[in-house]
Amino acid sequence: MIRRFATAVPANTAIGAVLLAVVLCAALLSLVWTPYPYAEMNIAGKFQGMSSEHWLGTDQYGRDVLSQLMAGAASSMAVAFIAVGLGGLTGAALGMVAASVGGVTDDAIMRLGDLGFAFPALLFAIMLAAVFGPSLGVAIVAIAFINVPVFARVARAAAIQVWTRDFVLAARAAGVGSFGISMQHVLPNIAAPLIVQATIEFAVAILAEAALSYLGLGAQPPLPSWGRMLAEAQTLLYLAPQLAIYPGLCIVVTVIGFGMLGDGLRDMTDPRLSKERAA
Amino acid sequence: MIGVEGLSVHFNAGCAVRDAQFAIAPGDRVGVVGESGCGKSVLALSLMGMLPETARMSGSLKIDGVEMAGSDEAAWRNLRARRLAMIFQEPMSALNPLRRVGETVMEPMRVHLGLSRADARRKALALFEETGIPEPEQRFRQFPHELSGGQRQRVLIALALACDPDVLIADEPTTALDANVALRIITLLVELSKRRNMALLFISHDLEAVRRATTRVMIMYGGDIVEQAPTQSLLVAPAHPYARGLLATRPRFRPARQRDLRLPTIPGAVPPLKDLPIGCRFSGRCPVELAHCREQAPPRRTQGSGTVACHHTGEVLAGHARPIEKAFV
Amino acid sequence: MQYFLFRRTIGFVLTLLAVSVIVFAVMNILPGDPALTILGLDSTEDARAALRLELGLDAPVASRYLEWMSGAVHGDFGQSYAWSVPVGELIAERLPLTLSLALSGMLFTMILGLVMGVLAAADHRRFGDWGVMFVSQLGIALPAFWLSILLVLLFAVKLRWLPPGGFPGWDEPLAAMRALVLPTIALGLVQSAVLARVTRSAALEIMRQDFVRTARAAGLGRSRILWRHVLPNALVPIVTIIGMQFAALVTGTIIIENVFYLPGLGRLTFQAIANRDLFTVQALVLMFAAIVIAGNFVVDVAYLLIDPRLKGRMR
Repeated sequence: MIRRFATAVPANTAIGAVLLAVVLCAALLSLVWTPYPYAEMNIAGKFQGMSSEHWLGTDQYGRDVLSQLMAGAASSMAVAFIAVGLGGLTGAALGMVAASVGGVTDDAIMRLGDLGFAFPALLFAIMLAAVFGPSLGVAIVAIAFINVPVFARVARAAAIQVWTRDFVLAARAAGVGSFGISMQHVLPNIAAPLIVQATIEFAVAILAEAALSYLGLGAQPPLPSWGRMLAEAQTLLYLAPQLAIYPGLCIVVTVIGFGMLGDGLRDMTDPRLSKERAA
Repeated sequence: MIGVEGLSVHFNAGCAVRDAQFAIAPGDRVGVVGESGCGKSVLALSLMGMLPETARMSGSLKIDGVEMAGSDEAAWRNLRARRLAMIFQEPMSALNPLRRVGETVMEPMRVHLGLSRADARRKALALFEETGIPEPEQRFRQFPHELSGGQRQRVLIALALACDPDVLIADEPTTALDANVALRIITLLVELSKRRNMALLFISHDLEAVRRATTRVMIMYGGDIVEQAPTQSLLVAPAHPYARGLLATRPRFRPARQRDLRLPTIPGAVPPLKDLPIGCRFSGRCPVELAHCREQAPPRRTQGSGTVACHHTGEVLAGHARPIEKAFV
Repeated sequence: MQYFLFRRTIGFVLTLLAVSVIVFAVMNILPGDPALTILGLDSTEDARAALRLELGLDAPVASRYLEWMSGAVHGDFGQSYAWSVPVGELIAERLPLTLSLALSGMLFTMILGLVMGVLAAADHRRFGDWGVMFVSQLGIALPAFWLSILLVLLFAVKLRWLPPGGFPGWDEPLAAMRALVLPTIALGLVQSAVLARVTRSAALEIMRQDFVRTARAAGLGRSRILWRHVLPNALVPIVTIIGMQFAALVTGTIIIENVFYLPGLGRLTFQAIANRDLFTVQALVLMFAAIVIAGNFVVDVAYLLIDPRLKGRMR
């Protein structure tokens, strides 16, 4: 696998990785340093344009836009990683159980998964927000929730193939239990498609977090967020249209970065899939 | 009606048809025979102006005296259906699965002849009748998947006849069909050709089918037309070594005790396009090869009532008759 | 075929029931005490007890669910706590706007997506193809709400061609339609990018098939072959995607209505959340889920209309 990565890194993977590296660096940097504290207001210096002091200017409260964007990168990334991580692990575990047990359990898990597909994340977030009040936690749980059936399906499909392989048969003959086989043999062999799927789901999660925060169902003030910055900027379109541009660009760059990386990884790990997509 | 002179088709990989020369007159029934990959289909597609975009065509191709080499798609579209029509090997996939077959047959009439729905329908039903489709009214409303292979091929023939073409090109029309269905399709094609004075270009690798369907035959090998003669004389006395091999290896009914366990074959295989010898394409497999065969393209000579492209003279070919066949068996 | 329809209808009803159970469970069991959620932490126990009595929350969960469902079947979702009118009325008032937005978005998506996809396939490996693929790649990464803001910025703030938001009501049909132009584009553009990609690959697949060659041999023109032979056949795989896109469009209306201040179900949802009107939210979520599931049901049936081969198989 490592050799395959080294021999052919498609252009889209490289570009995606670079875009993401920039966003990630900005996010990590914001944890220790931003040009200004992102929530520091300075009413006297509101609506400033680009300058050497404020590279991207200031907003309606005189807050530094660049600092907010950097801090927003950190929260977007954090939400995406936590939500996809939670949903992905749960889903992968369910998928592996479905593949190893089969029968009624398999059917039940997959039927529930179908139901999950019929239920958009936004509706789930709305229900949770109505019950618990809007918060970033609600957004994370809702995004994690839609990831469960996606990963369950991918993991199950891949695991079922692994279960038919000779080394699994050998392990079973040697008396290794289902759980042992799943951990020792199945998991390492389905890791590649799961990682590819995770990369693509990160892109979806970034978009979902931005939308939920924009709607007020995600990050609450003073927590920085690209989505909320856009919601605030929308009320000021006539005064300061530039404020509505930067956060959107950040979202697009991040989503494209994950998308290209995911496509590239898929091409590298599963040539059959990539051909289907290209055809 | 169709006049081909020095026609060649090149792909990036190599030359698929080389220096083809023949003419087809109204009512002619001409066969094209050869192994798969010998350029038969490419030749047929070039006559329809339907070569893939990667192909380059050179030489002269006249249809009704008009030079068509280098013509654009619009000019070709005017000829298709009205002057030239074509049917293909796979009747299973050659019909749009989402359309009632009647609609499919009516479409070119509406487009090219400007017929009204009612007129087109009447004409299509008449064609169904003519091509021997039972219960045309019912078949008309059916979808391709509801018809048998033979019926689909009849529908495709009806479609090809929609605008009363002067030439029908049939590319392996019977290969995908059962033997007895194939026989009936051949009989139908011959009848149609005679009744409508329509020329038929019948492409096949099956000599028996060609014998039944045609009056004249061209043998192709590696993109060359190696021999051209009246079907009857060619099948009785082939001249070109490859034609002889082809005839000698044809499966035949033989008395049981003489029956060989293996079918005779021509040794070797048709080389891929990029590896074709620059001289005679058959060199390397030919049992009577001469020193210069591999380097020089053979001249086309008149031989009896046909032509042969071989470095050997007619007398030599005639004189070597036995040994050549022996080499194949 | 009747059997197929029957099975799909049963599946449709079962999915709807399952979703209603989930919605009910999340909204009624998860909070522990709905009265506490509605009234907030600073409410008195007496007030909560009164509300429980008023809303019938003392009854067992199962019987409350049955009551809710039997009401829902008749369009009766109970009384809205915040607006003090029947929830059904609130929904009926706003449903037309949301449905017209979703349907116009769907129409826009299908027309743009199918046309771009087929044109890209026809121009395979050339300029038009690359162009469509590039634009659609970009479109997929665009958040719909940001696209909306950009559209408002361009067409409302700078050019002043269209209103930036709000809805004048159906009494002024022309103004109402103008108000829906930007929301429709914002809603449909991203989805049409997805659809264009799917259409392109489906059309490329079909263009390789034998019957396309037959059509060419019959002297049919390029565009006739593309639109009348290739596209209908390509639709078979595309329809599945369209079903999924309908779900995305319906939930998309929730976002778009909030961007453009349109008084539809989506906006009502957020007002209900702000007002802690639990049962209005519950009814709305069920409504949205039902529209999504109904859309998928329609798609399943649409297969039958498109592909005659299925009719034979399903008989």
